[in-house]
Amino acid sequence: MKRKVLDNLIKSILIFLGLIAVGLTLFVFIYVLYRGRRVISIRFLLDNPSGIPFGTAGGVFPAIIGTLMLGGLSALIGGLLGILNGLYLSLYSKGTKSGRILLHLITILSGLPSIIFGLIAYTLLIYKLGMGKSLLCSAITISAMILPFITIRAKKIFDEKGYTFFIESESLGLSKPYIIRKLIIPNCLGELVGAVSLGMLYGMGAVAPILYTGVVMNAPIPTSVNSPFMSLPYHLYMLANSGYSDEYALGTAFVLLAMLIIIEILCHLFASFREGVGFKRIFR
Amino acid sequence: MIKVKDRVLKGMVYISLGVTIFLFALIFIYLIIKSIPAINNIGLGGLINLKEKWYPIGATPTFNLLPAICGTLYTSFLATIFAFIFGLSAALMLNFYLPEKFANIIFSFLDMLAGVPSVVFGFIGLSTLVPFLLKHFNLSTGQCILAASIVLGVMLLPFIISTCSESIKLVRDRYEGMSKNAGISKEYFIIHIVFTSIKRSILAGLVMALGRAIGETMAVMMVIGNSAIFPKLLGRGQTIPGITALEMGSIGINEIHLSALYVANLILLIILLILILVSQLLKGNDRI
Repeated sequence: MKRKVLDNLIKSILIFLGLIAVGLTLFVFIYVLYRGRRVISIRFLLDNPSGIPFGTAGGVFPAIIGTLMLGGLSALIGGLLGILNGLYLSLYSKGTKSGRILLHLITILSGLPSIIFGLIAYTLLIYKLGMGKSLLCSAITISAMILPFITIRAKKIFDEKGYTFFIESESLGLSKPYIIRKLIIPNCLGELVGAVSLGMLYGMGAVAPILYTGVVMNAPIPTSVNSPFMSLPYHLYMLANSGYSDEYALGTAFVLLAMLIIIEILCHLFASFREGVGFKRIFR
Repeated sequence: MIKVKDRVLKGMVYISLGVTIFLFALIFIYLIIKSIPAINNIGLGGLINLKEKWYPIGATPTFNLLPAICGTLYTSFLATIFAFIFGLSAALMLNFYLPEKFANIIFSFLDMLAGVPSVVFGFIGLSTLVPFLLKHFNLSTGQCILAASIVLGVMLLPFIISTCSESIKLVRDRYEGMSKNAGISKEYFIIHIVFTSIKRSILAGLVMALGRAIGETMAVMMVIGNSAIFPKLLGRGQTIPGITALEMGSIGINEIHLSALYVANLILLIILLILILVSQLLKGNDRI
């Protein structure tokens, strides 16, 4: 009898605390998506920001495009390097000492705080190399940040999916790079795109690395990689911190969150179509 | 032709490897080189002591990093404890008490939450939690260590829940059949079998979570108040990433101030390396 009371007590405590945890996570989405939806209009999405103080009227269009451009450019640099590193770690150096050391190094790097990248990029790229605040400068910083993140995921994908192909084809006498080009990359493409875009999302949301390397409060859509740009997370930070317009901050947060969710769903779609499963697996 | 393409690919793999190693050697070496002027000029005693303040722009500037170091550790520890209590319970609830389909939907939500930018958390903290604390705790300002810890704790939840869940699943696969046959209740199973076998891996996960917490910049910076004083639970505080992000933009390249910030980040990195080492050691001896 006593046992049963104790069991029920444990059960209710766990469920109580667990529900609070899940509730808190849901609150983040509900707060932004429910309260922010009223701010959203075609004008807000497609206009340039304006108003005094700046950002309290108009829209966030340049920030949306700036964020996407930054994400795309860093995914290109960081993604390519990350996948190549993943190939090395998984297929070229499996079981060797250098591979193990490198893997440890990359694990450490993936935990490096984003602010360190920002600090070093600021002094090195802006001051020492004289690059000037630009999209390229920010993209390099973000790529360095997401590089270990993508490397670890790419390695995992190659380990899980590519390795059996590899052993079988190598015993047929095919060369390593040939197997990689013809079998492994095409077979893992869906997952690789997923890994790179996860890295891209992570990079698109970061503010600390781009704070002094390229992002500005007011800029037109960048015409070249050398011009400064606007970014949604930075815009949100400025609006929220100055406290000028809570409404517009909410709208910006809504757009940012919606963009991330849409990209994530697109990646799931792409991956499941590549595997020929169709819509069923999208939501597990 | 095939041979050329093969060579190009192989070359690319090695080039990318070289770039990565160079990049990160650069980061570590640069952090150390840039810290040297401050250590030489001010000395470690001037950078870390109990008397002075962080007052970098006065006539006789003082650079005491200790308040920021304490603030970083205080906030991160508190956040990790919050996240642990709620995260472990949530992981147990999702694994043992909810129907699998429903739990999977929540797991997808948590995955998504892990991708939400930290600014969004900071913003939500600033517009809900800070006014709440201001109103109910009778503070002069709602921005405080407690607010930062709660925001940071929520950010750590997805990570803690997924780490706990992984270990719980391993234990379940191994022991649940037997324990059911022995007629043990679910709760007894959780307390006596799950807890004892996942202790170490959960601890390793917590140390990793702590490592993530100390590096978090934006969300914490927005709700902590950014005053370079020794941290109190309901008072303002400052973290190392916070000062770096706030101050680095307004300093010239050769100033001691910048070098002091580099020292701060070097300390952050050393703490992080120790945490990673500890978590690897803990993980290494795990027996599930």
